[in-house]
Amino acid sequence: MWRRFLPLLVILGIVALVVWRMLYLGSVGERFNAGFFLRAFIDSVKLGSLYALIALGYTMVYGIIRLINFAHGEVFMVGAFTTYFLFTITPYALPAAIVMAIILTFGLMRVVELFRGSMRDPLVLGVGAIGVVVLTVALSAFTWPFWAAIVGSMLATGVLGLSIDRVAYVPLRSAPRNSLLITAIAVSFFLQNLGLLAFTNRQTPFRPDTPLTNPLAIDVGGTPVMTNWLLVAIPVVTLALVIALTSFVTRTRLGKAMRASAQDAEVAQMMGVSVNKVIATTFLLGSMLAAAGGAMWGLNFGSLNQPAIMGILPGIKAFAAAVIGGIGSLPGAVIGAMIIGFSENFLTALFPRTPTFLGITEFKDTFAFVLLILVLLIRPSGIVGEDLSEKV
Amino acid sequence: MARIVTPTAFDAIDPKKRVRNVALTLLAVGVGVFVLYLLEGVGSSKLVQALALFAIWGVATVSLNLINGTLGILSLGHHGFMLIGGYTTGLLMLDEAARQRILTSARSTMTEETLALSVSNLLRGVGLEALTTPETLWVRFLIAIFLGGLLAAFAGLLVGTPSLRLRGDYLAIVTFGFGEIIRLTASTRLFSAYTNGALGFPGVTSEFGKSIWWTFGVLAFTVFVISKLKYSSYGRAMQAIREDEIAAQAMGVNVAYHKVLGFVISAFFAGVAGGLWVSWLGGVRLDFFLFQLTFFFLVAISAGGTGSITGVLLGTAVVVFVRQYGDPLEESYSIQTWLYIASATLALAAAGAVLFRTLRRLRPRLHWGSWVLIGAAAVAALVAAVDPAVIEGTFRGFGMRAIFLSVLLIVIMVFRPDGMLGRTEFSWSWFLREQRTGPTDEERTQDAWLSNPAFGSPAGRAAAREQELAEDDTDAPAGGDDEGGR
Amino acid sequence: MAMLEVEGLRKSFGGLTATNDVGFHVDRGEIVSIIGPNGAGKSTVFNLITGVYRPDAGDVRFEGTSIVGKSTNQVVDLGIARTFQNLRLFTNLTVLENVLISQHHRLRSNWLSAVFRTPSYRRQERAMREVATEKLGFFGPRLQSFRLHQPVYVLSYANRRRTEMARAMATGAKLLLLDEPSAGMNPKETSEITQIIRRMRDEGGYTIVVVEHKMNLVGEISDRVIVLDYGQKIAEGTYRDVVNDPKVIEAYLGKKAGDDKREELADG
Repeated sequence: MWRRFLPLLVILGIVALVVWRMLYLGSVGERFNAGFFLRAFIDSVKLGSLYALIALGYTMVYGIIRLINFAHGEVFMVGAFTTYFLFTITPYALPAAIVMAIILTFGLMRVVELFRGSMRDPLVLGVGAIGVVVLTVALSAFTWPFWAAIVGSMLATGVLGLSIDRVAYVPLRSAPRNSLLITAIAVSFFLQNLGLLAFTNRQTPFRPDTPLTNPLAIDVGGTPVMTNWLLVAIPVVTLALVIALTSFVTRTRLGKAMRASAQDAEVAQMMGVSVNKVIATTFLLGSMLAAAGGAMWGLNFGSLNQPAIMGILPGIKAFAAAVIGGIGSLPGAVIGAMIIGFSENFLTALFPRTPTFLGITEFKDTFAFVLLILVLLIRPSGIVGEDLSEKV
Repeated sequence: MARIVTPTAFDAIDPKKRVRNVALTLLAVGVGVFVLYLLEGVGSSKLVQALALFAIWGVATVSLNLINGTLGILSLGHHGFMLIGGYTTGLLMLDEAARQRILTSARSTMTEETLALSVSNLLRGVGLEALTTPETLWVRFLIAIFLGGLLAAFAGLLVGTPSLRLRGDYLAIVTFGFGEIIRLTASTRLFSAYTNGALGFPGVTSEFGKSIWWTFGVLAFTVFVISKLKYSSYGRAMQAIREDEIAAQAMGVNVAYHKVLGFVISAFFAGVAGGLWVSWLGGVRLDFFLFQLTFFFLVAISAGGTGSITGVLLGTAVVVFVRQYGDPLEESYSIQTWLYIASATLALAAAGAVLFRTLRRLRPRLHWGSWVLIGAAAVAALVAAVDPAVIEGTFRGFGMRAIFLSVLLIVIMVFRPDGMLGRTEFSWSWFLREQRTGPTDEERTQDAWLSNPAFGSPAGRAAAREQELAEDDTDAPAGGDDEGGR
Repeated sequence: MAMLEVEGLRKSFGGLTATNDVGFHVDRGEIVSIIGPNGAGKSTVFNLITGVYRPDAGDVRFEGTSIVGKSTNQVVDLGIARTFQNLRLFTNLTVLENVLISQHHRLRSNWLSAVFRTPSYRRQERAMREVATEKLGFFGPRLQSFRLHQPVYVLSYANRRRTEMARAMATGAKLLLLDEPSAGMNPKETSEITQIIRRMRDEGGYTIVVVEHKMNLVGEISDRVIVLDYGQKIAEGTYRDVVNDPKVIEAYLGKKAGDDKREELADG
């Protein structure tokens, strides 16, 4: 019976330890006041939300085809750079505008199709016809505002996700899982180097003209903590996207097909679910979320790393988040992402550099891996996940 | 009634053939040594370097394949093991001048104590002054790479242990995580006294890493150990784990022990390869041990064929060739040239797709995707030929080699997941086409008789063949196709 | 003394109780069959004995010592080997390799001696090959000569079953647990396998526990039959007694009796 209360006890215990540690630090140094911890808390929530956006893509794909989509981190990177190229160098020259408009329109059609069921639906075709013209004009005549750049980037990156699935993963549906994973790694490398070639090979400033970066001061106990509106924007956008995704998965026909395929793809196929389409949809949705994450990542840090290293670490950490939360579970991915966000910011704040101790900041990139290994060893199904072990 | 072929204990190799095989092997080794000798004398230093790199990476890929191919676990942390071996060898073999420079440098994080770590001091400590002369540098190098291998093997033990509870792709991620943890912590204060932080250190002797004899010697030893292991009872047990872990355990194989054993042996050779790699590079730096390294090895293994050591070496040769001779891919060309190259590549891809669909009897031969490729190729060629505005300027194909290798890997995974050689291993009887791939007529008759004794008349050969087609019990002769294997 | 004693074995998965208070014993040299409708818990009993699952309650004793909590490979070391209902062969390896692998746990050389092929290792390897051919010989010459070196995936279903049985025998076990040895075989092959199981006991000296659905096979070979239903033992005895037991008939046929099953039971 006491097992039922175990999670609660663990959480309470952790909170108690954290509070005790905070109080202790407060007595050690003047610097460690409420503002110091509030800043760490804010950073944790923001980072956790960003990881969550990436982790959702991992968890959906893994839930259905049991593939660690190694390339997802690179999809995130492409999403960030596409946003960048939409709000900085628009308007485009006409040929580039036409190509981009076609890509965006295709993405738009696929999104509308999610609710209409067929590419031949009149609404989808209408959106396609109007979209190409409008987007070509928009891309070749106007400088895009940041919000439009995010939406555009989500559509373009969604198309990228679809293409990756179609080119690299569809031919391997029945292949051993290791082959699939190796292919995913290859795709990841391909995108990294293509990014180096096509985008840039150095750190890129990412400073769009948006009210979200306006400063915001929070007053705690007399010391103002300077931050900006991203503090609100990132969690809100994440929450909105997660709610949209969850209601899509639970309410719509295609969403139900997705859940059925996650349970047993083979049987779902026999029941008339087009599993390939379902998988394509997960890639579309996951990539769109990753693109939104990429855009806000850039906003949050003010710059983008060079393409070869930008995606890989956030990507793998987000995968770790998905596993920690319980792979295949949407809320699990968010919980796992928050855990990693907090471990990277709040935990380092709890063990800061003091005259007697050097701090643990330089190790923070390893926390995700250590957590991942621990969770896999102690509870392989993750915090809220189901058991995926093999039956004899 | 058909005569039943007496079963032999096993198809023992004819002693004559064994003698012949040994003779052929010795001959081949002799020829190989001679060729290497010629190449060393005649070939450019670039060629010698490429050959040495092939041997060094060969050590790494063959050992990685012990985990990936034989044990069937996708390990992505090989660069971590190589890092350990590399830094150990680097530190132990650092020459005196370099030690002095680091000691006096303000940015160095190494201390006098860590800089005192060297094989020479070690040997002096145990009273073997004779081995600290410049002439015996090779002994010290051997000791250094051996110690590097041992440390890496210890790390392999640490990585292998969680593998006992994890399966498949989770384990792949954990090995990746370990590899990254090793790399990320190497520059932190935990180890910066040994690694000099992110700076690393130059000044490791290149005498061995760039010598064909040393590198190929180590490669030969590695191939010997790994192949003997693979074709021993231990290797069979490891392959059983790859095929079906639960069944292997149910047949008495201690899965945990064999997995860890595989990891430890593989990590040892990875450490040795890391030592040679550092020597080839002439120094140590963190970015010599990026995940990219493991990726290259994966390409080599997958391209050549995970089931075959010969294939792995072949794949390594391809990857090393691209790395060492792929500079033209990354040079600066005019945009017009690039457009023509792109056009040709797309056209080739379309041709390949058509060929593939024809060979696999897929219809239509011209898939709409091929039309898209052809269209894109035509557009690129047209633009390059017609529009002078686009042609201006040049473009440098930075990173083209990695792109080429990743595309190669994707193509291989999609079209030939078993790699170039699949499971075919080099052996003399394979080379001389002596291997039996099917039953003899006599055995066929006997098989048919077992299924239905009524057909056992002496004249039953033809009937037996028919019988074999008709009867459920008889088996398909082993042909070249692997379609039954799952 | 009984070779294998099972007492009060219970195992549940979530809310489902797969076996509940199952107890039986197997004497040396016996052939015991476990029958029961689908989902009765027969394979679970095998998995519990061989250590794939750990029982929630109860005890399994082999030659007097409890083997609960031992891992699967330790159980094999002690002398219990099994086959699987859905064939678990090493499909990409050859027939010979499959049968050699099950002897690996008896190898008394470390990996270094194996790498350097010491004389002692070579001797053991030869011995292993002889054992392999001997065990494959139970099934006639059909798994010998060229077929030794064929990968398992080219074999027919029946030959795979035979290979799996040879593989289990080669472990050096005294007790064999055969999970549906005749599944997927035609009547002729079934009657052959029936003879072979008997010869395995008479010539090979194995004690055998069989889970089987084909009643004529069960009737022909069994010294004793144990019937499971919904995880519980509902009958035990000779084949004749068991098939006439009203509880067994009910378990197979239920209240709404169908005629086909009754015929099948009567066949034996």
